[in-house]
Amino acid sequence: MTGITKGLLQGKRILIAKPGLDGHDVGAKVIALALRDAGAEVIYTGLRKTPDYIARVAAEENVDAVGLSILSGSHLELVKLTAQALKREHADDVPLFVGGTIPRSDWEGLKASGVDCVFDSEMSLEQVVAEVARRLT
Amino acid sequence: MTAAPSLRAPINRRALGRALSRIADASVADALAVLEGEARNHGEVWRCGITGPAGVGKSSLVGRFVNTRLAHQRRVGVVAIDPSSPYTHGAILGDRIRIDAHGDDAELFVRSLASRRSRDGLADNIANVLALLEAHDFDDVIVETVGAGQSQYEVRELVDTLVVVLMPGAGDMVQAVKAGILETGDIYVINKADRPGAKEMVAEIASVLRHPDGADDWSPPVVLVSALTGDGIAALDDAAEAHRVWRMGQLDGVAARQQRRRAHVRALVTRRLAEVIEATGEALWDADVASAYHAVVAGLQQPA
Repeated sequence: MTGITKGLLQGKRILIAKPGLDGHDVGAKVIALALRDAGAEVIYTGLRKTPDYIARVAAEENVDAVGLSILSGSHLELVKLTAQALKREHADDVPLFVGGTIPRSDWEGLKASGVDCVFDSEMSLEQVVAEVARRLT
Repeated sequence: MTAAPSLRAPINRRALGRALSRIADASVADALAVLEGEARNHGEVWRCGITGPAGVGKSSLVGRFVNTRLAHQRRVGVVAIDPSSPYTHGAILGDRIRIDAHGDDAELFVRSLASRRSRDGLADNIANVLALLEAHDFDDVIVETVGAGQSQYEVRELVDTLVVVLMPGAGDMVQAVKAGILETGDIYVINKADRPGAKEMVAEIASVLRHPDGADDWSPPVVLVSALTGDGIAALDDAAEAHRVWRMGQLDGVAARQQRRRAHVRALVTRRLAEVIEATGEALWDADVASAYHAVVAGLQQPA
């Protein structure tokens, strides 16, 4: 078992999504399992989803947060498109998180597109879960 | 008559998503207060359950099946249920990856639910959830249960047509002929048609199914399918449509409503029991079984 606080995210529904073309979802799955262990109900989309699909799932599942995992380097564009798609589904009030290989120099740009929090590989799973919980309660 | 899809108001995914959360999260007291529990017009909406053991390919089958229903110009709502952890209450809801892989059909809505307190392969307030979808102008409501082996009875009472999915090589015929599995289904699907023993399994299952009592009775077909390749899906579509039409002709609306209400009330009482037990202090479990039992029953008699 990890040191994740039990029940920290109980009652929360979180979408973990992989937009774009990169084919690596180990990180997304590790995060999904950590969120689950903290009590969240995690909807996982699988690889290579379009921003429109992600926004549609966010609306249908009425999630409390959307987490995007992006390793392709196209994070600025994909985040912008996903934020626009969420707006079209009237779901732009849902907090948007991004994780992956994201240089610090891009964080401000992501936040300008509507991202609430950026997670990088320096953070432990416990830190990620605690930060998600802090922003959802 | 079903209006042509293009003439119908589009599905408001955000509003329906929120409404489903409200009803799925409702306490028993709240569920009773907001009961949208009666179908808008029983017989107009077709409810189909898909059940079977874990790993037989239910979600992939639902994905294929949904496409055939959409091709019939029907608006389809899917509820896909996955288990909650009894330890952390968390859940990974991964069915929809296989159900709406493209996710761009205007007439399809998919919702994932965690089983939460429910232990019958369904989810909290499932009867209300299904009724809410019916009230939102869907033609077909499809429920995929948690992977279940021998407990399909609850879903049986909530749907018009129950499809039981099995696969070759997962236990011998003794498993299959145990009470329940071969008594509840309206249609049997043997998935993973490419596997050894699939054709033999179709014949074996067909040979032990209940036989119709009269000429008007339904005789459950056994359909060999590969959800992977799509082989056999057309035959499943034919069987489902035949059962839907048969069911609509047979339907005793009063009896069906009574049956659904009975299932609904039983689900609410089961859920209320879980609430009462959760609210009970640990000290009660120091008492003997009879005292604890009476205390829990007394708790049930308090207003929800």
